[in-house]
Amino acid sequence: MISPEQYPVLIVVTPLLSAFLINILGNMDKRFCYPATLLALAGSLAAAVGTLCRVANEGVIHYRVGGWPPPFGIEYVVDHLNALVLVVVAGVALVAAVASKRSVEEEFPHKITQFYTLFVLLTTGLLGMTITGDAFNLYVLMEIAALTNYALIAMGGNRALMASFNYVVVGTIGACFYLLGVGHLYIMTGSLNMADIMTILPSLYGTNAILVAAILMLLGAWIKMAFFPLHGWLPNAYTYAPSATSSLVAPLMTKVSVYIMIRVMFSVLGATYVFTVLPVKELIVWLATAAIVGGSLFALSQKDFKRMLTFLIVAEVGYMVGGAWLATERGITGAILHIVNDAVMTLCLFLFSAIVVYKTKGHQLSNLEGMFKKMPLTMTAFAVGALSMIGVPPTAGFFSKWYLILGGIDAGQWQFVVALLFSSLVNAVLFFRIFEIAYYEPHSDHHGHSAPVAIDEAPMSMLLPLAVVAVAIIMLGLYSGEIVTTFIQHAVPAGI
Amino acid sequence: MIWQFDLLILALGVLCALASISLKDLLSAAIVFGAYSFLMCLLWTEMGAVDVAFTEAAVGAGVSTVFFLAAVYHTNRAVKPRRRGRLLHKLVGLVTAACIGLLLLSATADFPTWADPNSPASVYLSPFYITETIPQTAVPNIVTAVLADFRGFDTMFETSVIFVAGLAVLAILGSYGRRQRDYEPSPTGQDAAHQSSIVQTACRVFVPFMQLFALYVVAHGHHSPGGGFQGGVILGASFILVAISYDLRVMQRRLRERLAMLFAGLGVLIYAGIGALCLVLGANFLDYSILHTILPATSPIMARSHGMLGVEIGVAFTVMAIMVIIYVNVASHGKSDRGL
Repeated sequence: MISPEQYPVLIVVTPLLSAFLINILGNMDKRFCYPATLLALAGSLAAAVGTLCRVANEGVIHYRVGGWPPPFGIEYVVDHLNALVLVVVAGVALVAAVASKRSVEEEFPHKITQFYTLFVLLTTGLLGMTITGDAFNLYVLMEIAALTNYALIAMGGNRALMASFNYVVVGTIGACFYLLGVGHLYIMTGSLNMADIMTILPSLYGTNAILVAAILMLLGAWIKMAFFPLHGWLPNAYTYAPSATSSLVAPLMTKVSVYIMIRVMFSVLGATYVFTVLPVKELIVWLATAAIVGGSLFALSQKDFKRMLTFLIVAEVGYMVGGAWLATERGITGAILHIVNDAVMTLCLFLFSAIVVYKTKGHQLSNLEGMFKKMPLTMTAFAVGALSMIGVPPTAGFFSKWYLILGGIDAGQWQFVVALLFSSLVNAVLFFRIFEIAYYEPHSDHHGHSAPVAIDEAPMSMLLPLAVVAVAIIMLGLYSGEIVTTFIQHAVPAGI
Repeated sequence: MIWQFDLLILALGVLCALASISLKDLLSAAIVFGAYSFLMCLLWTEMGAVDVAFTEAAVGAGVSTVFFLAAVYHTNRAVKPRRRGRLLHKLVGLVTAACIGLLLLSATADFPTWADPNSPASVYLSPFYITETIPQTAVPNIVTAVLADFRGFDTMFETSVIFVAGLAVLAILGSYGRRQRDYEPSPTGQDAAHQSSIVQTACRVFVPFMQLFALYVVAHGHHSPGGGFQGGVILGASFILVAISYDLRVMQRRLRERLAMLFAGLGVLIYAGIGALCLVLGANFLDYSILHTILPATSPIMARSHGMLGVEIGVAFTVMAIMVIIYVNVASHGKSDRGL
């Protein structure tokens, strides 16, 4: 039997090996793909949970790939921060995969094998980016996640093709920036191992090359996460992506990029460097404020439901970036907690939008008319996600926002606090407008009276994952105290 | 190290780069870009990075130029005429590019000088690789040892990137997986016969040698520059050559798309499978030394060498198959019928 020592690498290797098997066997019989995908992702989730338990009991885990000691070989480092993110990524991917069955069969019946192979490889890429302790290994996995993501979005056809092409151009620039940054660090330190770089770096803090490396790596992460002025690629790409794709990438891609930013800040450059040597934290919190206000206002002006959600993602990215750069303990706690909560909330909203697309063949706000009568269970689950986005206790969204607000007050960054409250207000307006639309029945026929609406729930494979996510949102809210004390407080760098 | 030579290559390289972005004819731009890759390849050779130069020659100057040409053939040769009223866009672009350029330039002042033996990269990790590669892995080519063993995990994912690239092309363009597998007759009624028989004969003679060389590059990667990537690309290029000189169908009779996809999956599976085998035998993932318990007459050190050969073969499978798949789909607009 495989020992718990091997859990960290199994998180990534299980889906990787399965992806190639899915591709080979799926070409023989495509019915094989869906169960194999679920099995692979469940295996990965089990390994991630096993690793999380080990981290909670034993502390930080190091794993030497190939048996070579760092910095000569590649090392996996699982600490309190990425143990949590790994479980979220594996869990969200599994739930999104369960819900994808009907959408995939309907939207591209001829390409099921390719879709699931890419789907599992994208998850592998995201998990690999999260778990690695090597700055270059992160880039390689970033490439896998990006390429699979472009292909999965482009599979939406027509408008998705152009949106995906824009994303290819912008995303490649982002990845190049990150790689250039790693290159600068390598030239200056001779190492690619994150922990090793961080120990060498303090003697080089004053140099221009390290400054440029920091700027490039952070810019790369910001482009990848669609941080406000650099968000142009996101709305189209996520709106026109196939439902099954957007349920996976919308919750995870931006969140993993935020994780990378935090990892670069605290585990490569060092908190001292980013907060005291670089004089930019106020500026970045201002940018985050602009992201929140801008994203919220754009969301308010949309008539397309899915597009509205994409602008909410832009605003949420502002929450997390701002929280991390507040440079206070509670701000960073809020940012990390929000990575977890926002992944689950966004999953809820996009699973709902997948159901809307499946049932009504569109994703305009008008497609939602009469939803409460037709699909009461689906709407209830959606309402939980919506309340969490607004920040109503006891849903998860309230707690991370609470930490962010406290962090903003600690740092004296009042504009950030105001922006958070403004965003909650806008979300309340948005979602109550949707509830209102969903309560009205569709326009009556010419005779002036409408036919009675029959209950027409979403298929079980879509409804069940949505319900699970809704429950998870409430559970995350109820247990947020435990999550913070067991994991996140160890992840916040000391001495802030 | 001949600085005059370096300077000449650099100047030509910058010239080619500028030309390929400013040319209005995309076909010429693609060719000039190939020339740029070739100059880069010379530069790598000059710097002593022969393995990198080999890859650049095979991938950058070789197959990617063919892919560009195939894509241009199916889209449009001329650049769209510029629209007016884009002054603001141009200005923003120019300012951004200038800022990034200045930023990068400002960093170079802190860099160690060209080929400085005391640079951090030369004194920190390299001595370990130089002294320990042969005693610990029995592989004379240090680059191969770093690529396939010390950092073999990266290479496994790089191979997966190649696999994903091919799969992405199939997912976007391909008709593969649909029921109709019959080839449409070409619109002009022309077939393989319309091609020049001189070209065809030359290729027929040339291809076996190319493939033999490719296999040599794969197998000899431990001892000399080369390995799975370079060998795989050359092997793929030999099929592409058949497809160009004859016809896609002639090539596909030898390597069907379905089979190519199987090879592609198999290649990465070999790589990751060897890694997983180490794990099952009780060592860490990709720790080849444990393989000596199942390989006859090997020490843990020779097992590392054999493990590397195994993964290089896997890489060659995937790269070869994916090169063919990308060419077939791009050249035929995903219909895999006639091609260019």
